[in-house]
Amino acid sequence: MRSKWYSTLLSGLLLSAFSLPTAAYAQEAAPAAKPADGKAEEGKDKKKADEDRWLAVTNGDVYIGPGALLREATVLCKNGKIHKIGHDLDLPADTKVIDAQGMHVYPGLVSPSSSGLVGNTAGDFADTIDPFNRNMVLGLAAGITTTGVGNAAVKLKRFTIKDAQVRDRAFVTMVWSGRNPQGKKGLREKFVSTAEYLRQYRDWEERVKREKDLKEPAKKDVDPGILMVLRNEAYARFSANDRDDLLGIARLAQEFGFRPVIEGCTEGWTVADELGRAGAMAILTIRNQSPKDETLVRAGGSSIQNASILHRAGVPIAVVPGQDSVSLDGIVGRDIQHITVEAGFAVRGELPDDAAIASITTIPARIMGIGHRVGSIEVGKDADLIVTDGELLHYNTHVQWAIVDGKVAYDKEKEMFFAHIRPRKKSETSEVKLDKGETAPKPEDASKQDGDKPADGEKPKEGDTPKDGDKPKEGDKPEEKPKDGDKPEEKPKQG
Amino acid sequence: MILSLLLSSLAAASSDQGTSTPNLFALRVGRAETVSKGVIEHAVILVEGGKIITIGEDLPIERGIPVYDRPEWVVMPGLVSAYSRYSLDSEGGDDNSPEVLASIELYPASEELRKIVETGVTTLGLYPPGNGISGQAVAIRPLGETKEELILRDSAYLKILSRANGASKRAIKDGFKKADEYAEKEKKAKEKWDKDNAKKGSEKKEEPKAGEEKKEEAAPEKGGYVPPEPEPKAKPFVDLRAERLRAVVSIQSAAEYLHFLDAIGEEKFPWDLRLPITRESDLFYVLRKSEFELDVDGIGDKHVRCIMEPVLSVMPGTLRTRNLAKDVVAAGGKLAFIPRGDSFNDHRQWLANVGEVVSAGLDRNVALRAVTLEPASVLGVEQRLGSLEKGKDANMIFYDGDPLEASSRLKAVMLDGKFVFGEVKL
Repeated sequence: MRSKWYSTLLSGLLLSAFSLPTAAYAQEAAPAAKPADGKAEEGKDKKKADEDRWLAVTNGDVYIGPGALLREATVLCKNGKIHKIGHDLDLPADTKVIDAQGMHVYPGLVSPSSSGLVGNTAGDFADTIDPFNRNMVLGLAAGITTTGVGNAAVKLKRFTIKDAQVRDRAFVTMVWSGRNPQGKKGLREKFVSTAEYLRQYRDWEERVKREKDLKEPAKKDVDPGILMVLRNEAYARFSANDRDDLLGIARLAQEFGFRPVIEGCTEGWTVADELGRAGAMAILTIRNQSPKDETLVRAGGSSIQNASILHRAGVPIAVVPGQDSVSLDGIVGRDIQHITVEAGFAVRGELPDDAAIASITTIPARIMGIGHRVGSIEVGKDADLIVTDGELLHYNTHVQWAIVDGKVAYDKEKEMFFAHIRPRKKSETSEVKLDKGETAPKPEDASKQDGDKPADGEKPKEGDTPKDGDKPKEGDKPEEKPKDGDKPEEKPKQG
Repeated sequence: MILSLLLSSLAAASSDQGTSTPNLFALRVGRAETVSKGVIEHAVILVEGGKIITIGEDLPIERGIPVYDRPEWVVMPGLVSAYSRYSLDSEGGDDNSPEVLASIELYPASEELRKIVETGVTTLGLYPPGNGISGQAVAIRPLGETKEELILRDSAYLKILSRANGASKRAIKDGFKKADEYAEKEKKAKEKWDKDNAKKGSEKKEEPKAGEEKKEEAAPEKGGYVPPEPEPKAKPFVDLRAERLRAVVSIQSAAEYLHFLDAIGEEKFPWDLRLPITRESDLFYVLRKSEFELDVDGIGDKHVRCIMEPVLSVMPGTLRTRNLAKDVVAAGGKLAFIPRGDSFNDHRQWLANVGEVVSAGLDRNVALRAVTLEPASVLGVEQRLGSLEKGKDANMIFYDGDPLEASSRLKAVMLDGKFVFGEVKL
């Protein structure tokens, strides 16, 4: 457990407040170096329980926002949150290090909808999560770390069924369709009565402070979903493509003062200004094509520029592929695995690169109301990162590692799907655990390191390790430790 | 010489009245796979009254005791098929009926049931039909005139199908909730009884003190307090908690293991896992906690017994074979095999199939244990059978070679000291 002043110091970007954190670190490191023999085993286990979990992605080009790239920087994660971003970071002992030399680091991608990646249905999904599902691996291989499942926002966490849900009821689904005028009328009436209730309720809230006996207004004809929307607790999600429907939704939104999320939005480019003014957000599938209705004079049909026109009109764009599940049918590259390719097609239609990246990270996160936790690499946000071997939107790019809540959830080399395609060079595969004192440049710590070294060195490299490993956990470590010992020179490169 | 001959003929004659196997006899075989105590070459086994009296290497046999001398044979304990619907109707229904006993379905006259001994199976565990928590299994010996003769142990285990869905997890939680309710009720009853008893005690206070003390101590022992009977649906869960009953929990995938652990939470009771092995089984993910950084203990870490078919699976998405049985054992789990299916033929092929898994790397002794002693402990009858040991039931099967070799033939089967299959003469 680190004290607060320490963490605030650490979180200062780029500034390496060198001496102080090191001192603090040395204080911590001292007990770690203590258990030499005898009852060391017990002590270690106990300590591990309350130790912090550290992971660092080093030397990568970190995408920290539109147009902002930190070259060869380090992202340090603590207990599943991003702890610090910058250069010359002190990495605590037992930090798991992923060397992203020559690679890019992006926030984990967010897909507003998907099916089959995590569990079954929305209501039951916590009880149906399959963290060993092959589709989950493929979703992570596509870079997706968070997805909408039904109305919930869920993380692709592997090897555990706990805490996958980021948010319940991220959307309130509504229907507004020209084919169903009765439905439109009904929805509007519900909005009217709910808005009226809300007005009365707020009025009552004020007045009850003075007149205590005042009765709470009756919840007559109040739609709980609409109430959430009007209270700005969740976004209303429509599915609409037709220009008239889009206009209708925009007017409804402006009338009642809420921001609609419109899925489809094929003809959005024809009414982009109206949508922008209504504060609408769009979930687009760039390559969905539909012809113009030739009986109408007005503009219509799909356009490859849809995303860019909407973007220019101030409509935040999220992009999803044509199919929301992992699928091998039909045309290659249209299922959920190709979310980046879909966003790339938006760039082809003039959408700026950064907006395209935002369309699969920050915007969908914001649409689901979880933008404060995922969607970008910022200190304090969830440590959901992907390390790619190229530009995110390039068709050639593969995800090398996906990290969810500070844990490696996908490693291209370790899963069978893409390991054989352009395998990582040996130097890039190093995923090492730092030894005690390795990062500390002070002579004191160096001596400590030396003190530890023989102990590690004594342990034979392989062969014997299973023997002393009644617990395989312990057995794993000694195998890795000698590796660190072999190349202590490499680390200072960060400095 | 003459005398001994006479004696032996006498002994043979006396026992010939009932069955062809005498009550007391010795077996001399080439090799005995005892399962619990390793291999005994040139083994001599003395059997009396259906029990193994003694077993050892080249033991001297007292004169007059009839001897089956078969130096070319290999003997091992009778097979125990612990998780089966053999000879019973097909499954159906998903009601949660933990109170149902499979023993109500038993039909002693069933030809099919009697026939099973020809496969070398001398003990069967039959579970009740249905999904969900379908009821309690029964351990039987396949031959008997009446149900009572068949049943070795009723309520052998509670069968639970645990799936990755809300309903299934709720069923398990609800079961233990009922047990909670019972515990509450029981506590109240006890308190009430204590109060009543204290009253009685105070009434009797006029008696001399020494006597009173004695009485108060003696009262509970005499069984003055009888705990209330739990509801039928609650009882199995009360028994689970009290470790009077085991559970066999069927899960299909790694995820379902996590969901099962999630469903039981902190609840402690003895349970085995039934793992149906599919071609691309992903159960290897949950064998060891350390291997995939699980947040719960793996099957191996908990030393759980896994009931599975002797089949090889493949790594998902590949054609690389994976020997899950071997992996389970390597991770620290225990292993109990069952035949690949419930049919007669599946039982007949059982040991040959186990042989395939052994040739793919599973330890031979573990494999033999997995068809005898381990399934016996699933059924809770491991004190009585499952290995060749002094005092255990004389359930034995005889092969003309290594039992795990496909070319070996089953020559004879003995159930409770009687040959029930094979032409065996003294």
